[in-house]
Amino acid sequence: MDSKGYKCLLISDFTIDNLAAYLNNDADSPQVKSNTASFGQVAQVLTDKNLDCWKDNPDFTVVWTQPERVITSFNHIINYKDVPIKKLLKEVDDYSSLLLNIRDRTRFIFVPAWVFPSYHRGFGMLEMKTGVGIANALMRMNLRLSENLDKAANIYLLNTQRWLTICGGNVFNPKLWYMGKIAFANEVFREAAKDIKSALRGISGNSRKLVILDLDETLWGGIAGEIGWENIKLGGHDPIGEAYLDFQRALKSLTNRGVLLGIVSKNEETVALEAINRHPEMILKLKDFVGWRINWQDKASNIVELARELNLGLQSVVFVDDSPVERARVREALPEVFVPEWPDDKMLYRSALLGLHCFDYPAISKEDLERNRMYLAERRRKEAKKEIGSPEEWLKSLKIEVRVKELGAAELPRAAQLLNKTNQMNLSTRRLTELELITWAKDKNHKLWVFRVRDKFGDSGLTGIISLAVNGRTGRIVDFVLSCRVIGRKIEEAMLQKAIGYAQGCGLQEVRAEYIPTAKNKPCLEFWRKSGFKLNKEDRSFIWKLNSNFTLPDYINVIQE
Amino acid sequence: MTMKERVNLVIFMAVDEVNQMLPKEKRLKKSEDSVLLSPVGGLDSLGLVNLIVATEEKVKEELGVILTLADERSISAQNSPFKTIGTLADYIALLLEEKTGG
Repeated sequence: MDSKGYKCLLISDFTIDNLAAYLNNDADSPQVKSNTASFGQVAQVLTDKNLDCWKDNPDFTVVWTQPERVITSFNHIINYKDVPIKKLLKEVDDYSSLLLNIRDRTRFIFVPAWVFPSYHRGFGMLEMKTGVGIANALMRMNLRLSENLDKAANIYLLNTQRWLTICGGNVFNPKLWYMGKIAFANEVFREAAKDIKSALRGISGNSRKLVILDLDETLWGGIAGEIGWENIKLGGHDPIGEAYLDFQRALKSLTNRGVLLGIVSKNEETVALEAINRHPEMILKLKDFVGWRINWQDKASNIVELARELNLGLQSVVFVDDSPVERARVREALPEVFVPEWPDDKMLYRSALLGLHCFDYPAISKEDLERNRMYLAERRRKEAKKEIGSPEEWLKSLKIEVRVKELGAAELPRAAQLLNKTNQMNLSTRRLTELELITWAKDKNHKLWVFRVRDKFGDSGLTGIISLAVNGRTGRIVDFVLSCRVIGRKIEEAMLQKAIGYAQGCGLQEVRAEYIPTAKNKPCLEFWRKSGFKLNKEDRSFIWKLNSNFTLPDYINVIQE
Repeated sequence: MTMKERVNLVIFMAVDEVNQMLPKEKRLKKSEDSVLLSPVGGLDSLGLVNLIVATEEKVKEELGVILTLADERSISAQNSPFKTIGTLADYIALLLEEKTGG
């Protein structure tokens, strides 16, 4: 991606210019500049990398086809001809090979799953019958396509059916087809563009990680401070109470996929916490929230404080509040925070939450799934810090263990995820796909280590990366990436010691690191300024002469794997 | 509100939809003299298809009448109804009159 946004190539067997138009012209970030490949030349474009459309080196590609046009057997099936399922799936395999063929040609590939016009009733009541129904055959084809494409980490099969369901009505408009060879109504392309942009934000590390919630009229009905926690509306035989309960369930489900929850509410803290702790139908317990600010202060200031406490940037935050006044205030004061418009109708809260386009990740790692638990451990760490006087004593008490390993296949998905979504402690903010990362790391002049961190409060998982490129007698630190979860626990120093030790072993003279500023990585600069490396003001690089060792406090237990 | 004014509003709704797909400098103005088709400006052929289909849908939603705007009659007309928003509105008003007998 360059500073102007992502370059995209759209490949299709129908006129796809309307999708290009939505991707190019809507205001949502990131910016996209789309080109379309020659109409209806799908196989040629996928097989021939020398065609003009590839010369622009697109960052991502969308390959959207109609099943009856690319799979001949499916065309027979829709004409009620008998086709052995083996033959059908063999054609799907062949088509999958064409898609896999371009995985090295572009960084990401989006493939909308195949759909079929809803006006075609097929065999009616036999539609879902194996070996007969058109719908049944299409489901099998999509499943096979999905399994085949799993071989490439940078290909994403998108859920087209959801776009059709959202748009409802006349999504297969024959007029658009006959007049312009446009396969879908424009609402479908608009939904597709939204999902693709959401995926791009996820890939580039800009998905949201923390949902900050208001309490009264948002998590439950009524004002707890006025009517008492016993009388708030939550659960029971009441449609609104049930809707609040379901909203809480949906929020809890988000924590299972790594989204954190916090509270910012204008309330008496004791009253609010009593409602959470004592109401028998409360789904969300205090342990489900990684932090809260419950007081009568301005909500925008509270959000800033809470995000800072959790070491998260404001670009990671979603704020949900029933009050349009509070939403407008936060939107105005903190434009980086995503404040979705929120329905007045409580019964729409759950669907509004589950429809948000801001939680997409390109891969789900163990670290994601355990993020909530990790933040709770972090809270316990901070409580311990308050009790123990000096930072040094506190670090000693943590019994920190750091496991170092060269990048291998097992660590690749998480390492790529960490590299691509870490903003604050990131020296160069280099963004690479899994394939690009492993290819780089395997170069004989390159080394890339990953760091797993644990302490007495729990396992923080794979949270650090350092990489070194050797050129002559100089080692250049290319990536220096650390999850915000473990910043300030001497892991930074453990990473530097590893790279410096290796460089000394190779007989190099110096190690250099060039800090590349972004809007978000100032914490990284602050660390490097105190790291002991000497700043060369001419080229903004930090230098370590290898005739001296880089020492690490003995209470950090580093284990080489 | 006269029928012509109602038709204009319906076309403007369709223009809003089509404009979402156009770069800022190419967006259509919501006025009767806004040019749809001309050798030096207006919409390209795909843009016109989008506008026609969007307008048909809006006529159906807002006025409850199903019209076909692109057919032999409109395409072969000596004065194309797709020159400007104003000519399109006149054409739609004519079709509505024929359809409703009004």
